[in-house]
Amino acid sequence: MANYYDELLKLCGFEAEEINNERPRIEKAFRKLELGPEDVKRAESRVKQNHDIELMGVRKLLGVWFKELVDLVLARDEGKKVVYYGFPTIMGPGMAVAIASQEIYCACPDVVLCHTMGQIFNKLAPILEAGEENGLPPGHGLCSLQQIRVGALAKGIIPIPDMVFGSSYFCDMGSKADELLHERYGHPTIYIDGSMDSRWGEYPEYLPQRVEFLGAQLSKLFDKVKEILGVEVTQDVWNKANAMSRDVYSGIGQLTTQVAKADPMPISRADVEVSVFLFSGSTGRARTEGPNALAILNQEVKKRIDTGVGVVEEGAPRIMTMYEHFSDPSITHMMEDAGLAISATVFGPPPKSRPTYTTLSEMVAEREMRLGAYHSAYGIAKRCELSVEDSKVDGVIYNYLYNCRPFALTSHLVKRWIEENMGVPVLSLEFDLYDSRSYSAAALRTRVETFAEMLRAKKSVRQSTKG
Amino acid sequence: MMLRLSSHLSSRLVNLNKAKREGRKIIGYTPGGYLPEELVLASGAIPICLIRGGDHSAVELAGAYICRWLDTFCRAQIGYGVSRDDPYYNIVDTLAIPITDNHIRAVSDVLDYNTDIEIFPFGIPHMKEKSTLDYYLHGITRLKAKLEELTGVEITEPKLREAISLCNRERELLRKISLMRESELVPISSKDFVALNHSSFLADKEVMVENLESLYNELQERAVPLHKGPRILLTGSTLALGDSKILDIIEELGGVVVIEEFAEGIRPYWEDVKLDGNLMEALADCYFMRRIPPAWFRPGMERRDFLIKLAKDFNVSGVIWYQLMYRESYKIESYYFPDLLKKETGLPMLTIESDYDAAEVGPMRTRIETFIETIRR
Repeated sequence: MANYYDELLKLCGFEAEEINNERPRIEKAFRKLELGPEDVKRAESRVKQNHDIELMGVRKLLGVWFKELVDLVLARDEGKKVVYYGFPTIMGPGMAVAIASQEIYCACPDVVLCHTMGQIFNKLAPILEAGEENGLPPGHGLCSLQQIRVGALAKGIIPIPDMVFGSSYFCDMGSKADELLHERYGHPTIYIDGSMDSRWGEYPEYLPQRVEFLGAQLSKLFDKVKEILGVEVTQDVWNKANAMSRDVYSGIGQLTTQVAKADPMPISRADVEVSVFLFSGSTGRARTEGPNALAILNQEVKKRIDTGVGVVEEGAPRIMTMYEHFSDPSITHMMEDAGLAISATVFGPPPKSRPTYTTLSEMVAEREMRLGAYHSAYGIAKRCELSVEDSKVDGVIYNYLYNCRPFALTSHLVKRWIEENMGVPVLSLEFDLYDSRSYSAAALRTRVETFAEMLRAKKSVRQSTKG
Repeated sequence: MMLRLSSHLSSRLVNLNKAKREGRKIIGYTPGGYLPEELVLASGAIPICLIRGGDHSAVELAGAYICRWLDTFCRAQIGYGVSRDDPYYNIVDTLAIPITDNHIRAVSDVLDYNTDIEIFPFGIPHMKEKSTLDYYLHGITRLKAKLEELTGVEITEPKLREAISLCNRERELLRKISLMRESELVPISSKDFVALNHSSFLADKEVMVENLESLYNELQERAVPLHKGPRILLTGSTLALGDSKILDIIEELGGVVVIEEFAEGIRPYWEDVKLDGNLMEALADCYFMRRIPPAWFRPGMERRDFLIKLAKDFNVSGVIWYQLMYRESYKIESYYFPDLLKKETGLPMLTIESDYDAAEVGPMRTRIETFIETIRR
């Protein structure tokens, strides 16, 4: 029998049979999430407004997030051991823990909630407010992603975890928020520590001790997983996790490469975003359904490119952003409405390298050093530079997260670095990627439109000079 | 004694410039207590801790180089560094920065990119484990090599031993003077004790130790009047030289701060470096493993337990938690520490935040006055 949420599920790529099979779980999850017919109605119009629902790949990707939300909310009731990891994430450990045992549910709940309660339902505000009331008050530049996690636990909409492992290698805030939750709920918290002490100019070089230190911390994590959850992350498990990650990443890589090269831009960056952080939030549905959704979307995008369909005018100025908004796609659309084609993000294709370490943990640590973000502020600036070079964009909107200290400290550095070294204009935009209450959309629009106008003028001068 | 120290400090810059002209190297460093000054002294260089703060104009200067969501003291350091408004920034040959958290990392990166100050960062992990101790030891070993390269002086075992003995003596004297405040009669005000700490970051080490020795002797003999105001534990992230309004207000309102616990601004004086065995390992053991960590350690339980012990040992009537804006580790701990404190000691806590803004004084005074009136009863 049809129900009030069937249309929304169809918009999110659910098949009729899936809807029927999942109905009891979805209804139970909706009760916990306090989602009713009005919320669903709003979500339907929001999905139609923000996403290209002609593309089945986009719908399927939204469905992957939706199903992950249901899995997250019901994990404890369904007898799973619950493990949370932090964002930003070192790729691999979470996936390895998840596939080491079918009894474990492992995810970054705040990222899942952003992409669902935020992006689909626009109902993050009560969760954020609960986070503010439970230890992370507003007005202090505290991370809204952490407010979401704290708020969701305080409201009882996500289960209290059996174990948490935090991004102590990057972020002080996340680790202290993990500690706050540990004080309240008592679950074991494992801090994967590190120290971003490379000096300006050092990347891509790094001290081998940094790899050894982070490697030792990752080994500690696997030891603790065995001790606390009784699950062993073996080399075989790790190899499987890597193979599965590769499947999803090759799909994401194919999508971002197609989009980066296309003119006109075949799909909105808001529709690319739903794939990019899939693994940062999910190790379950991302793994089982992500590759298929991405394959469908890649085919659809190719077709659009072949037929010259675009969401932004051909020849529009091309820009790079830091990241797209996790919960409010309207910001991405606002940039595109201003006539900008978002063709790349700061962390473009990773630099190619061969591992020089042989132990599992050190290989992961070495890869993370080379990726730059956990290396240093200079590592972030250089990755940005490489991405500008690779994507040949006309400008950069550096929408840094004001409440994330590792990114906030790069606010002026990256702008100056790119403008001085690449001659590419940068609009530095203070931003919150998770909480849409933290900025004025109108103020952002004014700055973005002015920047777009300037890029168009520059581009036109360049073209007439060439002509 | 305080006058003698003050006179030494007033001519300190002149003397440092003279020493520099004579070829001695000046090593600046950021506070936090993770840089073993012993290494600098053993290399024949002069350690200078860049501890000035409390000045909103420096914070404003930083606005052209970094967004405002970083710790106030760290933004002030960026302001001083880029403007060279603090003369100590002009005199250092190298600025060694123990990277404790992302706020201090911001100082390192912004000054490295925007000034010609030579920066030497080394990392401070956030937990006490074997791998973190190894990393800290590696960091100070790199620092030792850097100092040897810079000064051309080999840091030998006897030189290091001598420097450790001198620094141990300084810590011991600060500790003894501080512990005198456990008594009902408080022989030294917090303002004076904090001034001693700040002086110890800038003064010649031998002069400092001599002054501390005479002060300690003086205090033992001094007849002390009984202060009737409530005894207070003052804790927080940073208590910089020049950031005096919190202490001024508390003292003006009749409160008596009898013990301070700060990550930056108060020298960690509770532990000495052991002189047996490998001295580099002994430095790491004292400065990293036995040090009461700041709030950016995770978990921060060791510090919180220590605060409770201090509150009991010093028989305080309340705790004032003074944090600077946007230092998130302290902000988060300030949320749940009051419950823990109440449970363990029954004591109340007041949280005060500052962005070094003059406009803060009025509301700060009102809140402290209310708190002191409450705990006085």
